[in-house]
Amino acid sequence: MFSYNLKLALLSFKRAPSLYFLVLLTLSIGVGLLCANLALVNSMAGDPIPEKSDQLFHVSMNTWPNDTPQAEPFHILRYREAMKIMASDIPKNATVFYASNVYARDSQSKSLQRFDSAVRATTPGFFALTKAPFAYGNGFAKSSGMEVVIGDELNKKIFAGKNSVGQTLELDGELLTIVGVLKPWSLRPLFYHATEGRAFNLTDDIYAPLETAIDLGWSIHARSASTVRYKGVQYTRDRDVFYLQAWVELENKNQQQAFQQYLDAYSQTLKDAGEHPLDIRNELRDVNAWLLEQKIVDQKVLAFTLASILFLCVCVFNASSLLLSRFHSAKFEFGLRRAVGASNKQMLMQGLTESVLLGAIAGLISLILSWLFLKLSTEFLPDLANIAVLDSKLLVLGMLLALITSVSSALYPLYRASRYTISAELK
Amino acid sequence: MLIMNNVSRIYRSDTIQTHALRDFSLEVKAGEFVAVTGPSGSGKSTFLNVAGLLDSFDQGEYKLDGVSVHGLQDDELSRLRNEKIGFIFQSYNLIPDYSIFDNIDMPLRYRGFNAAERKRRVDHALEKVGLASRADYLPSQLSGGQQQRVAIARALAGEPKILLADEPTGNLDSLMARQVMELLHNLNQEGTTIIMVTHDPDQAREVSRNIQIIDGQISDFKIYAPLHSDVPKDNTNVKEVLDV
Repeated sequence: MFSYNLKLALLSFKRAPSLYFLVLLTLSIGVGLLCANLALVNSMAGDPIPEKSDQLFHVSMNTWPNDTPQAEPFHILRYREAMKIMASDIPKNATVFYASNVYARDSQSKSLQRFDSAVRATTPGFFALTKAPFAYGNGFAKSSGMEVVIGDELNKKIFAGKNSVGQTLELDGELLTIVGVLKPWSLRPLFYHATEGRAFNLTDDIYAPLETAIDLGWSIHARSASTVRYKGVQYTRDRDVFYLQAWVELENKNQQQAFQQYLDAYSQTLKDAGEHPLDIRNELRDVNAWLLEQKIVDQKVLAFTLASILFLCVCVFNASSLLLSRFHSAKFEFGLRRAVGASNKQMLMQGLTESVLLGAIAGLISLILSWLFLKLSTEFLPDLANIAVLDSKLLVLGMLLALITSVSSALYPLYRASRYTISAELK
Repeated sequence: MLIMNNVSRIYRSDTIQTHALRDFSLEVKAGEFVAVTGPSGSGKSTFLNVAGLLDSFDQGEYKLDGVSVHGLQDDELSRLRNEKIGFIFQSYNLIPDYSIFDNIDMPLRYRGFNAAERKRRVDHALEKVGLASRADYLPSQLSGGQQQRVAIARALAGEPKILLADEPTGNLDSLMARQVMELLHNLNQEGTTIIMVTHDPDQAREVSRNIQIIDGQISDFKIYAPLHSDVPKDNTNVKEVLDV
């Protein structure tokens, strides 16, 4: 019976192509627009590391050495606090890092072309903590050493995507050996550096050992604060310069409590030594709490999504009205089928088959429209480039939305059709 | 085959009630060919709609082939319509963009027959109405008489217990009407029970029994007597007043 209903649906489309085209267009625009918005919200509000987002904690401390400028905990830390965190054996993994930037080229290449590259100067625990996916090699084992891990993009740019482990990169004039190459890796949002409007940046091009980056004087390309003057990052280890972010992996409540006490005890020692005039306030926030704190979901996008939902409702009403007129014009055939033995249930199945087919086609068109809407958005708002992504989850959701809206549009017309008096339609 | 006892059908609007059928009683036996006549608005079509389960009734009892239809669910009524009743309409009611084959095939689809069985039945029905070579035609490519024969084939394909015909020759010229009537008589002689609403006195005279409906009831006066003396006469409900 399904194949017969499918045949009838196709015949119905053939009979009133303009009307069905309008229904398809109406539903596709509504679903397409909503999907495009949901794609943005999905990227903004998604959990970038769902398997352990509740075990990864950002560390904020208020170790500012005087009572200005604020009493709130800082998301950036001094080198001494960072090292104190790294010295703890409570977390399963811990990492501290700062963002920098260098120009990179293949030291063996005859070409002098250099690539502007984002650097994460970090401790080795970064790779295990963030589950960075390796294509070749692995992470560096120590915080110092002339070694680097590079991302997939940079590997493609410089080494055409081949296994470049063992190759040497010239980074701002220094030679560092590649020990690992990452697979394509996208984190939306970029939870480990969600501050300073970077939540939707790409993952970094180069991951370098923290001490090496400091020694080489690779400048800080992120927010920093200090109470003293300093010439460069290499002079920050023993000064009140705040620039390092810290993340720890704590597997259970006990570890969290223990680590909180560890931080508070450290702050107390500072206080006892007269280096800490403020209240002791050290905060641990897991990934989602940290992202929420950073307010990375744009309220304008949320408002526009709400508007898109309302617009989709209007589209459903319009499609329903068009289908009602279509069903009305098919009353004779409906009555005839009922007269020769089709039950209301069978007619309902016929109508639903038509709606599902309509929904499937509308779904495909709406996904194309979503893609076009997102393309258009990034043309006007280039900042959206890394979040305007239709992932597989969104594709499935788009198809489901199209099917649901299509069936919803047909429900009232189908209900009306089921109320037709058979004899009246056959006069 | 068909027994109605004191069946009433009342159409209600805000201000008036119309008794389309009023304490209507009738029994039609298997193999009968019954002509139903009466003036416009007398209740002929309502009777046919109620008999064909296309319309409900308010009071009384109706049994079709031994099944009491009162209180049956939509599924059961649909199955009864599909299996036991064949409809022939005045305006043929063929779907214009379906081939002749597909038009006849339609009721069989709802019976759940497989493709081979449906083809066998459609071919057989087309053969019976003399249109075996026209299976792939569209209704618009056939004459009015041929279209009505297709409608008859559609009604026959399900091998129903009873054929209900609503002025089957009303849209045809006399020659085509004669061909259709001959076909119906042949089917009746083969054992098919037929109830036919008609305005044509000649057609009413040709059948085994005719009844007249006036004001939703069977009239005591029968205007037309059967032409054929060898068919059984039933005077239970009607009184013959005119022999021709």
